[in-house]
Amino acid sequence: MSKTAASALKERDHANPVGAITTFILPALLVYAAFTALPVLRTFYNSTHLIVPNKPSEWVGFTHYTALWSDQIFWKAVWNTLTWAAVAPVLEVVIATLLALCLYAKVPFSRVLRVAWFTPVLMSYVVVGILWMWIYNYEWGALNTMLRAIGLGALAQPWLGHPDTALASLIAVTTWMWTGFNMVVILAAMSSLPSEVLEAAELDNCGWFAKLWYVILPLIRPTLLNLVVLSFIGKMKVFDLVWVTTQGNPLWSTETVSTYVYKRAFQWSTFDLGYPSTIAVIWFVIVLAGVLGLTFLFRQKDRLEY
Amino acid sequence: MAAQTRTRFSPAGLRMAALMLFIALYTAYSAGPFVWVASMSLRTTSEIAANPYALPWPLHFDKFASAWLDSNYDTYFFNSVVIVLSAVALLTVIGGMAAHCFARYTFRFKGLLYFLIFSTIIFPPQVTVIGLFQIMVEYGLYNNRLGLVLVYVSIQLPVTIYILEAFFARIPKDLFEAARMDGYSEWAIFWKISLPVALPAISTTVILNTILLWNEFLYAVVLITEDDKRTLPLGVLRFLGDQLEDVGMIATGLMIAIVPVVLIYVFFSERLIQGMTAGAVK
Repeated sequence: MSKTAASALKERDHANPVGAITTFILPALLVYAAFTALPVLRTFYNSTHLIVPNKPSEWVGFTHYTALWSDQIFWKAVWNTLTWAAVAPVLEVVIATLLALCLYAKVPFSRVLRVAWFTPVLMSYVVVGILWMWIYNYEWGALNTMLRAIGLGALAQPWLGHPDTALASLIAVTTWMWTGFNMVVILAAMSSLPSEVLEAAELDNCGWFAKLWYVILPLIRPTLLNLVVLSFIGKMKVFDLVWVTTQGNPLWSTETVSTYVYKRAFQWSTFDLGYPSTIAVIWFVIVLAGVLGLTFLFRQKDRLEY
Repeated sequence: MAAQTRTRFSPAGLRMAALMLFIALYTAYSAGPFVWVASMSLRTTSEIAANPYALPWPLHFDKFASAWLDSNYDTYFFNSVVIVLSAVALLTVIGGMAAHCFARYTFRFKGLLYFLIFSTIIFPPQVTVIGLFQIMVEYGLYNNRLGLVLVYVSIQLPVTIYILEAFFARIPKDLFEAARMDGYSEWAIFWKISLPVALPAISTTVILNTILLWNEFLYAVVLITEDDKRTLPLGVLRFLGDQLEDVGMIATGLMIAIVPVVLIYVFFSERLIQGMTAGAVK
């Protein structure tokens, strides 16, 4: 049964019958191979070919890669997506920690509040996108109506229609969606803290802020960092929300890598699937580097502290 | 609460008031949009034009009937239900089998397979979507509901295996040894022991997958273009295009998409939260 057992024994290994193992794992492997592995390999293959309908694909070497290097829109999309992926996780996790503390301190109505804060994450981005387009509407949108009501009508503007505010407005939407989710995870982490540690802190006559800063936060740090990485990965994928609301407008100010890939592959009449595949491959490398970098950074800090 | 803050103006009282203000503001930000769209869904567009923020009176429940009947909503809804339920059923069986396999047996390349399947969690979808589009066209699965079901199974497979595997691994080994002594086949062990014992974890994955796939948009928009095969998210967007000025009607359409999700949440909130947060807590 042990892994070191000689392969000769494998056939007589009753605890690990090869036939049963194959049967159990095969369906999952087939689905994985056909609908995940093959498409990924296909995309990598595409990235060095010119692929237009009704013609055999043509090897173009690294032409797409060099073209990508001087593609202004691509770099704009990368910048927007990275901004999103840098700002949103911090906003989400910080606000979520504050909210979780409120519920942890057992404010009244915490059950209702938890439901109200968590619900946005359950909605489809299509629903969320349309809803927030109305909220940001210039004439009758909720945001401008409120601004006018409190005498700040001068600030009212078409939030999604102006290049300076469009991206920030969309970041506010993803924050609205995901903060509640982060809050629930953080609350779960706080609730599972060993009560002896917290009681010890109280015995030491530790103030609530000191208790939070020196006891609670360090203890839930792994969860917080995990959430930052998860949120980062999520924001690097953002597509639906942008597609429903702005489609990258105005002036590419909300263009993300996902929407640009989609446009180049299925919308613009260039009919070439090679170039968008190149974008996808480069983006895959950037995301991977980002995730590895973050993980490494957080590990490094952990090592320094202990 | 208000009484509490008024009775004492101590620093603690002030802190409480600030806390309450923060909570009230955040709750308005978080729940306000839903209240607004729910009220608009029961009002006509001319009522909304007169005042977008008035209370819904009289209640126009008939708008739900007309949204449903006049604009293919029944087709979209039916497609979503069929596609999501088939994908979730397949996921439960295929994912359950694989998870059982990973949790119970040792075999060659186990670590490698595990790594391959899980690395897809961080893949940006762009890297699969173009190749997938070409492959689906070649398989004849483009614009095909079965094709979308299979794609949905593949995108939710890693997280399903992840949640189930963690649960299966905690089932005591003695249970399986005993079953083996009793002459149960490997398949019977999976079907009659693992699955029933893991029912809580399975219901978690079922609910999680249902919600995520119900809302899925990117793969649907790439792989489905024919109107009678659209899922609900695509239908809602199409509805938006058709009714551009008819805000009241669109709000009704949005509510039709929101209500099933909210119902699932109301009945299964604990399981759902468990599923959604499973990956985040270590």
